[in-house]
Amino acid sequence: MTPPAERKEPGRKWAVMLAVLVHLMFAAVLVFGVNWQTREAAPVIAELWNSLPLAPAPAPKAAPEPKPAPAEEPKPEPKPVPKPVPKPEPKVEQPKPAKVDIALKEKEKKRKEEERKQAEAEKKLKDQLKEQELKEQREMLADEQAALSKQRDEARRQKTAAAQAAAQVAAQARGMAEAIGRIRSHVRRFVVMPADVAGNPEAEFEVFLLPTGEVLNVRLSRSSGNTAYDNAVERAIHKASPLPLPVDPLLAGRFRELTLKFRPNE
Amino acid sequence: MNVTQDLSFLSLITNASVVVQLILLILLLASGLSWFFIFSKMFSIRAALREADQFENEFWGGTDINNLYQRTLSGRTPVVGMEKIFEAGFREFLKLKRQGRMDIGVIMDGTRRAMRAACQRELDALELHLSFLASVGSVSPYIGLFGTVWGIMNAFRGLSNVVQATLAHVAPGIAEALIATAMGLFAAIPAVLAYNHYSHDVDRLATRFDSFMEEFSNILQRQTGV
Repeated sequence: MTPPAERKEPGRKWAVMLAVLVHLMFAAVLVFGVNWQTREAAPVIAELWNSLPLAPAPAPKAAPEPKPAPAEEPKPEPKPVPKPVPKPEPKVEQPKPAKVDIALKEKEKKRKEEERKQAEAEKKLKDQLKEQELKEQREMLADEQAALSKQRDEARRQKTAAAQAAAQVAAQARGMAEAIGRIRSHVRRFVVMPADVAGNPEAEFEVFLLPTGEVLNVRLSRSSGNTAYDNAVERAIHKASPLPLPVDPLLAGRFRELTLKFRPNE
Repeated sequence: MNVTQDLSFLSLITNASVVVQLILLILLLASGLSWFFIFSKMFSIRAALREADQFENEFWGGTDINNLYQRTLSGRTPVVGMEKIFEAGFREFLKLKRQGRMDIGVIMDGTRRAMRAACQRELDALELHLSFLASVGSVSPYIGLFGTVWGIMNAFRGLSNVVQATLAHVAPGIAEALIATAMGLFAAIPAVLAYNHYSHDVDRLATRFDSFMEEFSNILQRQTGV
């Protein structure tokens, strides 16, 4: 009996092609699937933005300030400069030398007449020039006045905007101070005062917070000199977690790193 | 504080450690081979089933056994499956019969042995590479798990140097590690499914071969008896 010959598997090429196809499909699914998941993670950022709409209200007020300034400046400057310079010079000087050179004895009369005419023409020109100058001066004055008034307006606007911005900053600073004060008083409730604190030394702590107000880490940045008091305050900060953060999300965003100062007698 | 990580699939793989990358490569090879075998087995088993159906139709359709034998000998394509068993059995039967007076029992024993051997060969050819599918199905999850454990180990080791441990420090490491598990499962699941399916198909074919052998030897015994 003859041993059966190595038989050929049917459809080998097809098998290879289909296997490759399956893997390509798997890779595509993975690539697009994982991309999709990262996009799904984005709404976590969007949620933070969602809470911001309270904040954008002040932002647009500050934005329009720079817009009017560039629009007003270019207008008054270019107009007065080009007009007075080119007109008077060429008309008055050119005719004189040309006609003096040609003068002959026989044509003196004609020349005189011409000179008269020239003089008349010059007078007319001078009158015109004077009128023009007067007009230009008037225009310049008007322009200056307009520019001045615009500058005044601008200054007024800037002042009001600056006042608004200052008010905002002040409000924010006040909010910050209030929030810090609230946090300090909240922490102070948890301080167990050690017995032997002499004087009123100040201890300074750097506190790292989570967005929820929970205390991540506390670092003593300046000791009060009394380690017992330092430790007491540090323990109190940990115990006081979560700290009361301000409700305003714009303010709350700044409360990730705090420096808190504590004195024994407050 | 703000750790933004690029968690796209490719960057996860390229940023993975060498061990994880190696494991991914192994798993990719295993998966590719197993899919190749899945498809080639699918074709060959389908062909064997079709061939068996066709032959059974012809055999029980009243065709003369001698005619059938002549046709299998003269056929251009190599005989496979049930036809091969028939051919081997009938050839052995004719040879033994031609050797002169012999006991029917001896002739039938020889015929059956020849058919049994042909049947074993056919089944062996059909079962070829099925064991590979089985081992891919059982081992590749463990390989993937190993890659995951290794990647997570690295992720946590890197965490030891960080004062403030956040999820963002661990997440990319774990994500890249989990890709190994995903890869292992991707290799294993189809392999296991295909193995179960194909071994079931081969078993059914084997029973069909067996019953055909019995019936055919009955027919042969009847012929010699007459």
